[in-house]
Amino acid sequence: MEFEHFTEYRISLNNKKEVENIKAFLALHGLQLDSDVEYTVGVFDGERLVATGSICGKVLKCIAVDKEYQGLGIANKLVSHLIHEEYQRGNTHLFIFTKPENYTMFYELGFHKIAEVPNSVMLMENHPAGIKNFIEEIKKQNKSGQKISAVIMNCNPFTLGHLYLIEKAARESDILHIFVVWEERSSFPAEVRYRLIEEGTKHLSNIVLHKGKDYIISSATFPTYFIKEYQRVVEIHASLDLEIFRSYIAPALGITKRFIGEEPYCPVTRTYNRIMKEYLPQKGIEVVEIPRLHRGENAISASLVRRYIREGDVDKTQRFVPKTTYEFLTSVEAEPIIEMIQRDDHRH
Amino acid sequence: MEIVKVGMAGTMESSDAIVTIEPNTDSGIQIYLQSSVEKQFGNQIRSVITETLRALDVDHGIVRVNDKGALDCVIRARVQTAVLRASDGGQFNWKEED
Repeated sequence: MEFEHFTEYRISLNNKKEVENIKAFLALHGLQLDSDVEYTVGVFDGERLVATGSICGKVLKCIAVDKEYQGLGIANKLVSHLIHEEYQRGNTHLFIFTKPENYTMFYELGFHKIAEVPNSVMLMENHPAGIKNFIEEIKKQNKSGQKISAVIMNCNPFTLGHLYLIEKAARESDILHIFVVWEERSSFPAEVRYRLIEEGTKHLSNIVLHKGKDYIISSATFPTYFIKEYQRVVEIHASLDLEIFRSYIAPALGITKRFIGEEPYCPVTRTYNRIMKEYLPQKGIEVVEIPRLHRGENAISASLVRRYIREGDVDKTQRFVPKTTYEFLTSVEAEPIIEMIQRDDHRH
Repeated sequence: MEIVKVGMAGTMESSDAIVTIEPNTDSGIQIYLQSSVEKQFGNQIRSVITETLRALDVDHGIVRVNDKGALDCVIRARVQTAVLRASDGGQFNWKEED
């Protein structure tokens, strides 16, 4: 087999026929094409598709090579192509979620293991010291105390419910570390979410705010294309995220308690919380669930606030958010965000 | 030359190497080398990288190299290109190459 006649070709994601071809190929390898891919490449031997891979943000995904064509360096060609495409897009720190059995292949392609859920998923990154650097960064904000706790929040946007949880957790701790989910899958950009928490918690002296950057994985970006048992997706995601928390983040800051908001509605968050109560105590981290704060018959939630915004009733949010958040919502800066919420209906 | 952003050059195809250079928050050069011929040529590859950086007056940076059996001249070329991409519009006198 000649190496030269393999051609790389960008798949047009608008072209149904090309996409179907990729999907059928992935299906043969027990994989799916995730709906959020932004860029897909195919490697062809003449007309025949022999490998494919995709990009979504800083994650490489949906990678497969035809069994008959393995050992010819096609994976190297494919992943090199994807890395260059990412570089053009300004993404140099890259991640792969893969089955643990693919470790060696991706290791040889320059990826390093961050964490693993045995038999289910491994998260890898293309920087040998990526997570180490992140841990060094958060350690700079290490503060001593007897009772050190953590909360992880998205705050889309920051409500009185979040504030209630933070105040309660801060009261019961010497130091409270707050990690803000940093993925841009929410209506409110990460920097805005962070700022609103910062402004709304100025009166608390024992909290430390952190940008959750690349190592707090939200379910919104967790890829599922390689997981067969679909009902286990939520569990696997939770296990991976909690593994990173309990093995890297908690020890770095001496965290012994994690506070979470009680989840009466969303089954995904409920499953996540259940797994957390199994996972964290194994490493000596206590999980404390705080009931929701109510206003009248409504449990306060960010989704309720977004619903009022969507319905054009920004005024009504005043009862549910701190003054600082309300000031933001009625500012010029919030206009494009509000417009976007009103335009489309997504959940996050 | 000063490294001000992430620069990358090369591929992971056989006989090539992919080189990434980024600013170092600490001072000095830090090299992470991964090579399919590490045992035989690891030290030689490291010295080619170090020499190339010295010739370009790069004093600080984190260099990641994933080598798939590239010859010295290929490694040198990839390092040079990555440095140029990572520096701020510096000029490079190609003629001075031997």
